[in-house]
Amino acid sequence: MKPEAEVKETLRAWIIKANGGKIKPEELLDDTPIIEERIITSLQIMDLILQLEKITGEPLDVEQLKPGVFKNIDTIYKNFCSENNRGGGEA
Amino acid sequence: MPTQHEINFDSLEGLYWHKLGQASFSGDLLNLFHQLDQHFVDWSKKWNSAEYQFAPFLSSSQMKKLDYFKSFPHLLTIPVVIDDDKDNLKKFADSAIDEQGKMNLSQLGEIREVLTPAACYHIYDEMEGSDFPHTQYVTTRCVCYRREKSYSPLQRQWAFSMREIVCLGAAEDVKAYLADFEEILLQFFQSQNLPVKFEYATDPFFNPATNPKYLMQKLDPVKKEMIYDGRLSIGSLNFHRSFFGETFSINTSGEPVNSACVAFGLERWMYMLLRERGLKPEAWKLA
Repeated sequence: MKPEAEVKETLRAWIIKANGGKIKPEELLDDTPIIEERIITSLQIMDLILQLEKITGEPLDVEQLKPGVFKNIDTIYKNFCSENNRGGGEA
Repeated sequence: MPTQHEINFDSLEGLYWHKLGQASFSGDLLNLFHQLDQHFVDWSKKWNSAEYQFAPFLSSSQMKKLDYFKSFPHLLTIPVVIDDDKDNLKKFADSAIDEQGKMNLSQLGEIREVLTPAACYHIYDEMEGSDFPHTQYVTTRCVCYRREKSYSPLQRQWAFSMREIVCLGAAEDVKAYLADFEEILLQFFQSQNLPVKFEYATDPFFNPATNPKYLMQKLDPVKKEMIYDGRLSIGSLNFHRSFFGETFSINTSGEPVNSACVAFGLERWMYMLLRERGLKPEAWKLA
């Protein structure tokens, strides 16, 4: 797994691109709520999952996803990319 | 914890049960239906809600905007007509129904409507293209149609009555409305000694694993159900964010409205009261 800062930057770049440039890079912080503030839509969630599978190199079981795991960049990193806590089971 | 009462639906006075999932009421049961609905309407008055009565059909083009045909095709009920070509009508008239009661429809006419599956859809349809300066509160009761695999009196019906109280406006007003209503309901269930708990839920999507909307509801729960006796949803609180505002161009001060609805299934509330309080009408009174 790549270093935390690098993974978060990859996620940030993906989210900004998916958002179509409406949000500026400096506005998208690690704790900015990306679903609640509709920075990404339901249609883009599937693409985000594919992106995460690419980053982690592992398939992701959508049935196991719990509320809050995609809340912001921090929770995504913590739940899917951190070595200590993988799999999307915690919010 | 009060003892629950057994209900024999075959001999329940005032109920006529149609085996394909519909219930007719008379006498005390009909009074209970009206009493419950009035209770919901009284709640709606806290927000000075405007009451509407809607027609039973919704246009299929409006339903397409909601992505309903992809998300819930299994629940849909569609009113059909026979194509009015004279020969076609004669063909239908001569063999309209077989011995098992199944209809032979011959050639169908154009179908552009569906029977309403949720009361609040009519509100967004009615308000399409509007822009209002203040948060709006609206209530309506509709007969809703949802096809199911099996039916059970008062608990799971093809046609059932739904009362909804909807808030449309700025996000903070809509969130405050939901929080206030949840508090009112919590206190109500407690004071009436009714075993109802709130649980996060998702809508019954078709092929949920491939539907991004289902995934979104799992990740960011916006639906809370009122679960009676740990098994039966008697109502729900739903936060739509700006989905209906954007879909139907409903704005407040130029911005798409946020919206939320609180929905009550009348027959299921009747079931709960019969089960909890027994068959004597004097026991059904709500404080």
